[in-house]
Amino acid sequence: MTSRSRPAIRRPATVFLAVAMIGATALTACSTPEKSGSSGEAKDVPGVTRTSVKIGTHTPLTGPASAGYAPISKAAAAYFAYLNAKGGVNGRKIDYVVKDDGYNPATTSTVVRELVQQDQVFAIVNGLGTPTHAAVVDYLNQQKVPDLFVASGASLWNQPEKSPQTFGFNLDYVREGKILAHYLQEKNPDATFCVLRQDDDFGKDLTTGITQVLGKVTAEQKYAVSNESLTAQIGALQQAGCTVNLLGTVTPFTALALGTAAKMGYRAQWAASSSGGDYPSLVGYLGEDVGPKLLEGLVAANYLPFDADDDWVKLFRQINTEYNADAPFTGNTIYGMSMAYTFAEALGRAGQNPTREGIVEALQSGSVKSNGITPAAFSATNHDPFGGAGITVVSKGVQAYLDGQVFTTDAQAGPVEAYTGPAVALTGEGIPGK
Amino acid sequence: MDRFVFLLATGIADGVVFALFALSLVLIWRSTRIINFAAAAMAVTACYLALAVTDLTGSYWAGLIIAVLVGGTLGWAVERGVMRAARDPLSGVILAIGTVMVLQALTGILAGPQSRPAPVPFGDRPVIVGGVPTLSPYDLFVIAVAVTLTAGLHTLFARTSLGLQMRAAAFAPEMSRLLGVPVARMRTLGWILAAAVGALAVLLAVPGELGLDPHAGDPLFVSAFAVAVIGGLDSAEGAVIGGLLVGVLVSLVTGYLGAAVAPLGVLALLALVLLVRPAGLFAGVEARRV
Repeated sequence: MTSRSRPAIRRPATVFLAVAMIGATALTACSTPEKSGSSGEAKDVPGVTRTSVKIGTHTPLTGPASAGYAPISKAAAAYFAYLNAKGGVNGRKIDYVVKDDGYNPATTSTVVRELVQQDQVFAIVNGLGTPTHAAVVDYLNQQKVPDLFVASGASLWNQPEKSPQTFGFNLDYVREGKILAHYLQEKNPDATFCVLRQDDDFGKDLTTGITQVLGKVTAEQKYAVSNESLTAQIGALQQAGCTVNLLGTVTPFTALALGTAAKMGYRAQWAASSSGGDYPSLVGYLGEDVGPKLLEGLVAANYLPFDADDDWVKLFRQINTEYNADAPFTGNTIYGMSMAYTFAEALGRAGQNPTREGIVEALQSGSVKSNGITPAAFSATNHDPFGGAGITVVSKGVQAYLDGQVFTTDAQAGPVEAYTGPAVALTGEGIPGK
Repeated sequence: MDRFVFLLATGIADGVVFALFALSLVLIWRSTRIINFAAAAMAVTACYLALAVTDLTGSYWAGLIIAVLVGGTLGWAVERGVMRAARDPLSGVILAIGTVMVLQALTGILAGPQSRPAPVPFGDRPVIVGGVPTLSPYDLFVIAVAVTLTAGLHTLFARTSLGLQMRAAAFAPEMSRLLGVPVARMRTLGWILAAAVGALAVLLAVPGELGLDPHAGDPLFVSAFAVAVIGGLDSAEGAVIGGLLVGVLVSLVTGYLGAAVAPLGVLALLALVLLVRPAGLFAGVEARRV
């Protein structure tokens, strides 16, 4: 082959073009670094100036996981743009630096160190994913960087003694499993209950919650995300005579499960967690034509405002139109904006001159309520916000909460109890302290 | 027994798709001695255009033809524009991976990262035989396509002078050139054929999976790569038998032992085949080596 040397002289242009394009893609994922702390703050708090607070996050913007999660950081950025347009928090605007980690823990480690050391962010907010964030949780706690509202429901984030800087945001999966199972059992005590779940900690935690309430399930099928076929698993559920199937699945696999079951003519009641039960996202996977038909009757847990006539949802829709280029409005949009609101609320509670210690203290004081259907219950010993969830059902193509079906429980063997208190109401146009 | 028949049918349906995509890898190996790591990304790009055409015209078949045409064109463009710069097998691999990154980034930028559902031309409800769901009309269509393609490729390579020239150009480029075979053109032709088959394979695979997104071909590529090696990189028949073997194995292991064990099953099969027949099940005889 070495004898063919002539053509190679002309080729580097092509290679260069390829490299340049990859470089350009990588660059767009970062924001321009900017000097912080230069405006002469009395106490030198990283990322905080008199007019701004710089925070950062890691999230997949490229790669296979980006399809499901990239809209979250965009929604959060849209809320911050809205907040900044209304004057920010105590006169400070939020500078939200989003770094792409491609859902790869090794990359997460790199970008989070960049955020902390180069960009000098005040806090990491809503770092996304269990395996990814697990790679940086010790580092952030060693560096005493507030690690707020991790986008994952793993139990890892609620360890105040080991990780005092870390706070979760999602309802933890065990609680969610218990609440879903409790509702389904009350509604249909004679059903044959089965589980289809992802073969990882997410699926395992959810199933722990489910079996906590139901005892043993008739069949438990698992899938690996690397194999995009659920035919064998759904066939097993069908053969076992399952009438109610609880899904420990992420959104694309919920869609695949329902689609596969429909093809096989298998009818059953399906129930998904909040991580895999968002109606608009599921319709995106299944298509506008068959989606609504397959999803009719789907039960799902949720803990954030959701109904179309909810004040929060109306506000978020408006923000989505004005600041997010009218992107598709899904559960991800609500999630991202709710999380961003919660950060703004915590920052406001940290006082006129926020410090890293101050915001952790503010959260631990329990004064931050977030906007869930049950108020957040952060404390010095509990770093998980939400203690409960409500049940949503898809009816005639509309997913909405069922009246009176909101429950609270713990992440251990405690009972599931009805919650009768109100959801957190919208005040001051969704601007904390207004 | 019911369960076994069901899992067998499921495995065959999956395996045929593996086989089709493995065919694409075999074709490029046969004509250029390169493993095309960009095969999946190229096929997915072609599928995006195919789906756009299906959306515009409302015809599945127009989309299918576009997939094949665009796939072939991409094969030509990548071979002429990128792979020609390869000096040795390793730089070929690196160039292919670079192509993957560019194509995935471009489709991601233009079409967005989210999955979109793909249409099927026939019913995809399995026919129930004796109370057991088996293959669907769509699965049968995919099988028919795979059988026709294998037969066609076999005829091309074994019976036509063009096929002989392509094989010769890959095996002994210097010698073939001396004998008057247009080696460069044969390579390009190999790439066009392979990329067209790859695009067709992904278009047929997508409805059974999560939908079309920039990464839709990745899991298929991994399975098909194992299939191609098991079958012997040189053999179209090997790709088909290997595909069915892997498809059925994955289905049975998933059904009886669990989804997490399935990749281990494939790995075990791969190790066994490489131990017993290092060149793959259907590889040509050693004596052919020049």
